[in-house]
Amino acid sequence: MARVSTDQLLQLETTCGSLLYELQIIWDEVGETDTERDKMLLELERECLEVYRRKVDQANRCRAQLRQAIADSEAELATICSSMGEPPVHTRQSIQKVGSLKEELKSITPQLEEMRKRKGERLNQFSEVEQQIRNISVEIMATEYNPSRHVVDESDLSIRKLEELCRYLESLQKEKSDRLKQIMDHLSTLNALCSVLGVDFKETIREIHPSLDDAKASKSVCSATIERLATAIGRLRDIKIERMQKLQDFASTMLELWNLMDTPIEEQQFFQNVACNIAASEEEITEANTLSVNFLSCVEAEVLRLEQLKVIKMKELILRKKAELKELGRRAHLVVEAENGAEVAISAIESGAIDACLVLEQIGCQIATVKEEAFNRKDILERVEKWLTACEEEAWLEEYNRDENRYNAGRGAHLTLKRAEKARALVNKIPGIVDTLVAKITQWEKERAIGFTYDGVRLLSMLEKYAIVRQEKEQERKRQRDQKKLQGQLIAEQEALYGSKPSPSKPQSAKKVGPNRRLSLGGAAALQTPKSDYMHSAKSTRSVKMTDDLGTLSPGAKGLDIAGLPVKKLSYNNAMTTYQGVQRKPFAPVAPVNSIPLTPSKSLIANALEENKIPNAMLSPTPKTPATAAAVLMHVATTPAPTCLFNEALVKVVAPVDETEYSFEERRLAFYVGGK
Amino acid sequence: MSTATTTPTGGRELSQPPSDGISNLRFSNHSDLLLVSSWDKTLRLYDVGENVLKAEFLHAGPVLDCCFHDDSSGFSASADHTVRRYAFGSGKEDFLGRHDAPVRCVEYSYAAGQVITGSWDKTLKCWDPRGANSSDRALVGTYLQPERVYSLSLVGYRLVVATAGRHVNVYDLRNMSQPEQRRESSLKYQTRSVRCYPNGTGFALSSIEGRVAMEFFDLSEAAQAKKYAFKCHRKSEAGRDIVYPVNAMAFHPIYGTFATGGCDGYVNVWDGNNKKRLYQYSKYPTSIAALSFSRDGLLLAVASSYTYEEGEILHEPDAIFVRNINEVEVKPKPKALPVPPP
Repeated sequence: MARVSTDQLLQLETTCGSLLYELQIIWDEVGETDTERDKMLLELERECLEVYRRKVDQANRCRAQLRQAIADSEAELATICSSMGEPPVHTRQSIQKVGSLKEELKSITPQLEEMRKRKGERLNQFSEVEQQIRNISVEIMATEYNPSRHVVDESDLSIRKLEELCRYLESLQKEKSDRLKQIMDHLSTLNALCSVLGVDFKETIREIHPSLDDAKASKSVCSATIERLATAIGRLRDIKIERMQKLQDFASTMLELWNLMDTPIEEQQFFQNVACNIAASEEEITEANTLSVNFLSCVEAEVLRLEQLKVIKMKELILRKKAELKELGRRAHLVVEAENGAEVAISAIESGAIDACLVLEQIGCQIATVKEEAFNRKDILERVEKWLTACEEEAWLEEYNRDENRYNAGRGAHLTLKRAEKARALVNKIPGIVDTLVAKITQWEKERAIGFTYDGVRLLSMLEKYAIVRQEKEQERKRQRDQKKLQGQLIAEQEALYGSKPSPSKPQSAKKVGPNRRLSLGGAAALQTPKSDYMHSAKSTRSVKMTDDLGTLSPGAKGLDIAGLPVKKLSYNNAMTTYQGVQRKPFAPVAPVNSIPLTPSKSLIANALEENKIPNAMLSPTPKTPATAAAVLMHVATTPAPTCLFNEALVKVVAPVDETEYSFEERRLAFYVGGK
Repeated sequence: MSTATTTPTGGRELSQPPSDGISNLRFSNHSDLLLVSSWDKTLRLYDVGENVLKAEFLHAGPVLDCCFHDDSSGFSASADHTVRRYAFGSGKEDFLGRHDAPVRCVEYSYAAGQVITGSWDKTLKCWDPRGANSSDRALVGTYLQPERVYSLSLVGYRLVVATAGRHVNVYDLRNMSQPEQRRESSLKYQTRSVRCYPNGTGFALSSIEGRVAMEFFDLSEAAQAKKYAFKCHRKSEAGRDIVYPVNAMAFHPIYGTFATGGCDGYVNVWDGNNKKRLYQYSKYPTSIAALSFSRDGLLLAVASSYTYEEGEILHEPDAIFVRNINEVEVKPKPKALPVPPP
């Protein structure tokens, strides 16, 4: 009330007074009663009072509002400050010189605004952080994470809390980056493994988690992913080790085989990288595709190929060794294991039943044994060779002696003459050779308590038979000579009787032998002659041996001076003298003529013919007659020559000899002709 | 009308091919008849247009070469040492003569009217076909070669003989008493085949080592300077070359370019003058044993038949393919000259 200016009051009072004066005037004019006037004045006062009261109420209300607003603001401020963890900025108590309410409000409002703003900012910060935390947590924990866990708590917006959250966020970020690093590590390991194993890296990681393959998207870092990566790495590492072991096995086998078969360097080059990794540890094998399935199967195939090659080479080796064995046996005239053995061994090796090495060893042993045996037999075999050569020369000499033209001067006649001379000398030595041979063989057999075999036949028995045959031959010869003597005597008698000698050229069925003529066995004429030919060769027929230097029984040419002929053998002499003593009638057949069996000659002829037909066949000894057995012996000695030719012919046709070139067509034709 | 098996790449496959390796095939000079000799001892005549086997003649041994006389008869060279003529229509067979060893090549010279055969008995024999069936009247002459004859080719009056040991003899048919030239193959390996250029200036030699040599008859320095050799039918694998024999060559009658066929199963077409390869056809199932262009150069017959270069092994069945030739595959490509500035 003091504020109302005096002027205004005065004015008011003036206005009210004047109005009242006016009212009184009006009333006077109107003639209002006093009670009416009093009533109206009372009413007027009352109404005025009402108006005052209303205004006062209003002002009161206003004041209350203000107070309220201030209180609210203060409260809000306090809340904000507390929530933000700051000391309260404004309290009523702190402000002593308060001034009016309005002033107070005016002062508090901006502060409030300020705090609100700051709260808002702080809230934003919190939200941001919380958001980031949520994000990272989701990334890290994936489905397990409950996002509602990190919602901004408005009650605590303090810096401390913010820092706490920031720290937490940092830790989460660190964890995330750690995990990411872990994952990248895993990925690189996985990459290395995949590259070595030849597995598709992208496929693998895509299986684990699609985001891993995507260059742009951020990678999943949840534990599940990491676990799966780790498992995958473990799995692949296992595979790597497994394959590595396999590869190293292959490599060692390969090296073995290379060693065994002396593989050339160029072939080895291809698999150098395999060989050099043979002792590598798991970490050292890092080259791409070194352990891929493809590569492994390549190496496996190569090993297989090498092994097959080895088998082939083994087979070849075995065959070669067998051939060597056979050859050794042949040279030593030992009967070695039959051919079937070789085939059986080969098929058994192929089927894997026998180890090739074992067979090789066996053969090696056999070869050694045979070599030793051959060495032991060497001396005797040499002597046998000498004996056989001598017999051959004997045979040649026979033929030569039969040849009528042998003294004709021709090319090389002097050579044959020389040969004949040598042959005669050799033939004389034959009995000596045989005797020494028999002695040696007996000694040898005694030392070893086994028989000495020559191509399967007991040598001693062969020699015995030979001796028998020879003896028989000698006897034959003796008989022949005796006959001739008789004939000579007969002719002489005839001459004496008739004064002429019968023509010497007439072939007498029984015994007449022309000068230097040898009766041959081949052909019909031979059948008539009792002189069987025990000289054994399939090539040509032989005649009875009558050595020229012994002196020929040639009644025709040299006269019948039989008695005067120098005789080598004592038995011969005896026979002659015996004959001379016999009295016989002229033209009577000489007893021996009939007694000589024709059969041996026939069979021998048959054999000889047979043998003539199949010169190349290796004859098995057929003990039909002694002569045949001996024939076989000689035959065998000469067989090598024909078989060689035969084999050569085969070789020429079938396989290209190194010196001559052949076209594909020639080889194809040879193959077709050979076996197709 | 039989349906031809159409392969998208190799050409039409002829039906009823021989049952064993094909040694040679030839188109006739007058029509699209194809004569085929085979190791299955037959000589076959096909009509390529209708894809039908028209005649088949059985021999006593594998037939190593064949050639046409005219459209109605042809000659065969067999491993049974004989040379025969067959009349396709009547099926009549005439005996021309024999060698002392398998007869490897046979050619008929229209110019001289004679059949020429080369054999592994190291001789060349010339026969007069009119004297067939009468002993010795057919044989005109026997000419000793340094070695077994492996391949022959004729152009005009010139005959080129390639033998084992890389000898090459060039004869003039009018004077066979001795070779016009005695040469040695410029290739270092066994000669597989020899073919004369259609223009008669020289011949091509192919060897087992994936190489072809282009040679010339003219012995002057200028001409000999043009001769060269090139590598072909080779495969590069793991840093080294696998080399295949070049079994067959055939010259295009019009363009003078030529096709070669090797044991790698490929047929290449070459421009000899410009030293380029014009085309390579897609791989055939097995080695190419023989090639022949038809008289108009529109067809190429390819014998896809294993030639025993690796001995007796499993191989694809023998087949004959006939390709239609596109001009681009055989037309020569001269080097593009630089365009002069305007």
